[in-house]
Amino acid sequence: MEDGYYIGRRWEDLDTDILVKIFQSFDILELTSGIAHVCSAWRMACCDPLLWKTLDLSMMKSNFIKIPLEPYVYVDGRSDKILTRLLKISMSLSRGNITTLIFHFNLFVSDEQLTYTAERCPQLRRLVLPAWNRIKKTGICKAIRAWKDLESLTMPGIANPPYLMEEISKNCKNFRELKIMGPCDKFFASTLATFLPTLKVLSLRCSMLYKEALIIVLDSLPHLEVLNISHCLLIEVLPPPGPKKVVSEIDQSIIEKASRLREFLTCMNDSCTMCQRTKIDEGLMRWYRYEEGLWKADEKQNKMLLNKYKWQPSLWSCVAKDILPQVGLVLTHD
Amino acid sequence: MALELKSSDNKIFEVEELVAVQSETIKSLVEDGCADNVIPLPNVDSKTLELVLDWCKNHVDMKLDEEKLKEYEDKFIEVDQAVLYDLLLAANYLNIKDLLNRACQKVADMLKGKTPEQIRETLNIVNDFSPEEEEEIRKENLWAFEE
Repeated sequence: MEDGYYIGRRWEDLDTDILVKIFQSFDILELTSGIAHVCSAWRMACCDPLLWKTLDLSMMKSNFIKIPLEPYVYVDGRSDKILTRLLKISMSLSRGNITTLIFHFNLFVSDEQLTYTAERCPQLRRLVLPAWNRIKKTGICKAIRAWKDLESLTMPGIANPPYLMEEISKNCKNFRELKIMGPCDKFFASTLATFLPTLKVLSLRCSMLYKEALIIVLDSLPHLEVLNISHCLLIEVLPPPGPKKVVSEIDQSIIEKASRLREFLTCMNDSCTMCQRTKIDEGLMRWYRYEEGLWKADEKQNKMLLNKYKWQPSLWSCVAKDILPQVGLVLTHD
Repeated sequence: MALELKSSDNKIFEVEELVAVQSETIKSLVEDGCADNVIPLPNVDSKTLELVLDWCKNHVDMKLDEEKLKEYEDKFIEVDQAVLYDLLLAANYLNIKDLLNRACQKVADMLKGKTPEQIRETLNIVNDFSPEEEEEIRKENLWAFEE
């Protein structure tokens, strides 16, 4: 024990727990801007798994312009490089501990960035990646193969889903949850039925949804527990020479089919802002027009009261009416 | 009901139980029946303990007045680095959640926007990375994947 009173406080010797607590209040930009470069003790604290369960990049957008040819966006070089650097530092500090990865809908990740990240997040369980413009089929498949533990995916609508769904089905044995931020047609629904029959949760909110696709989903996904079609633009294709028709209410046959689900979340209301927006945007939501962060919301998170409730067609109009408003949901026809 | 706390420099503080149990550490001691005698706190000096107890007392007194409490907290945390450091350690050791959170927030605010060099200068930290580690960090900071 030294003589005299120790005056200096050594900030590098601060308890790791305290350092981690301080760093927990930093967002990803602050965390990767040099804190880990102060000294080796601080770098070690920056690598604490507590800081890396979720990598939330949803405050970052690419600096881009739209172009009329594929991939329909051109990303400014500097913007790309900033993202690369951020990913490199994050991957280095996170040490394979990331389980949730979130990208902004206007962050156009390149194939290379995706592969680099995927290889270094082997424990990934949840991915939110709404923009695939610059990603090739080979790129996304390679990434899927790196994520054996993947359970949940938020993705854009894609024209040709089989290759992807097959890769998920072969590789991700725990896959249970899918959210599509884009149109869902008959082909897409059949692909789900073929390759992901064990799907438990499906969200198609705020998108164009073909009625035949909805029926396929309800008929052919036997393990489905939660289906969210809130604010969807429901389209019925009438036999030729009939046009496409917008469906304004969910009919009894669909309600009956959906009665086996634990939660069937719907909202089809002319006075609902979100429903109006989907209509204006013709089923492909232009999220950049709306409130920051709005795109991330999903009704299925409000499921406390509905857990024990089993939908019965006969109860649809009486009991449901009482419960739904409490959880922020609206009946389709009221 | 009053408790007696003894700082590392042997000063005795008499405190109401209600105030003292803001510290989860002391609360456990009370619940386990070990608080009958003077409670020694070898990790906290008298200067820091006085501040901590002031925090605790005010949190009991102003519990219902959020605005007043916030004003108090903001003023309380305007301390120099050395005191802030001691408060961090004391709040951690005594397990006083709101004080620890506030102190951590204060440090975080101090650090945001600063370069590593600026942080080292402010807090008197030595750069102890080996040349190899420095090189790794340099590569990490490049804007491309290839080295």
